[in-house]
Amino acid sequence: MSSPEPPAAARRLTIARAISEAIGQEMARDPSVLVMGEDIAKLGGVFGTTTGLLDRFGPERVRDAPISETAFIGAAVGLAAAGMRPIVELMFVDFFGVCMDAIYNLAAKQCYFSGGQVTCPMVLMTSVGGGYGDAGQHSQCLYATFGHLPGMKVVIPSNAHDAKGLMLAAIRDPNPVIFMYHKALQGMGWLGTVQRSITDAPEGDYIVPIGEAACVREGDDMTIVGLGLSVHHALDAAKSLAAQGISAEVIDLRTVAPLDRVTIRASVRKTGRLLVVDDDYLSYGIGAEIIASVCEDPTITLRARPIRIAHPDIPVPFTPVMEHFVLPDAAKVVAAATILMETDR
Amino acid sequence: MTDVPIPADLWSADDVAAISAWLYDDGDSVQAGAVIAEIMVEKSSYELIAPATGKLQIVVPAEAVVTQGQVAGRIE
Repeated sequence: MSSPEPPAAARRLTIARAISEAIGQEMARDPSVLVMGEDIAKLGGVFGTTTGLLDRFGPERVRDAPISETAFIGAAVGLAAAGMRPIVELMFVDFFGVCMDAIYNLAAKQCYFSGGQVTCPMVLMTSVGGGYGDAGQHSQCLYATFGHLPGMKVVIPSNAHDAKGLMLAAIRDPNPVIFMYHKALQGMGWLGTVQRSITDAPEGDYIVPIGEAACVREGDDMTIVGLGLSVHHALDAAKSLAAQGISAEVIDLRTVAPLDRVTIRASVRKTGRLLVVDDDYLSYGIGAEIIASVCEDPTITLRARPIRIAHPDIPVPFTPVMEHFVLPDAAKVVAAATILMETDR
Repeated sequence: MTDVPIPADLWSADDVAAISAWLYDDGDSVQAGAVIAEIMVEKSSYELIAPATGKLQIVVPAEAVVTQGQVAGRIE
């Protein structure tokens, strides 16, 4: 008698649904949680992050804002100081320019300046990433821009399970958390969807701790570090590399700040080779920080020079041919991994 | 074999609808009542519910335009 196939998960969620579900559950549990942003109420968010919340909780707690990031994100900082737990959506991270003072000078420093007496439990969720021809003001990642500034935590999920657990952790955190989600993983169709990002997620309450990376594929020959969409490039590449007899370990950062150096270093200590895959700008970026963090550790012996893949230091091109030429993909990861394996010392 | 039709009464027939994502892969077993796909209509999202338990066969791929009543998949 043949063994039966394992049953499929009873339900699966896109990252968009997982975010909406987490916010809804926390709003039901905690009356101090509220949501503000552009098109987040009636429409449910242009990337589906607040689907169904207006009907459940009404316009007092789910509030459409005009195009006024300076005002509604500034208001969130004040609400957080007064004991509320606001979630605000900055529709595209590219729009941070007009509201950055509220974010990095006010929200990020509120706890420090008050000697810990006034916390800032707010979540700023924002879409990142390109790949669908939306040009240089709607396609940036800016992970390192936010990760560079102290006082904020920065997270980005690669799948629905982590999205829900990270959002629940973010809302409950006493510090401001920048919750980034990659447009190509939202399950919105027109942005492309990576099937692997659509996962099961428990209906109940659970946390994915902020500050903990995950090893999503074990391997011995090299460590490939990714975040958000680039985790999937790394996993696709690892599959191709396995067919060539190369065993790649894949680390999903999940949190940009604070960076989980312990998990990254433990992996490279084992494999001796490091490749970072990032779709943010190259210079002063995620790859540089991770490679430096590994090289600073005297207990790690590298078998090859580390490699970083990133978007070059130019604005994101509009035309798809040019955009895909500069964006990372699985083939570029395989090519870099092949170079990593050529050197041995 | 049970057809999985695109709902006929949730949005205006004049609106363009497309499957934004299949939540399961072709060949996965699914349970009756589970949300198996999402349909995008004019920036609003609708759910496609499995009408039966069994193995999913995807007929219309993700990102393709669909019409009301069209068979998007089958469950056997």
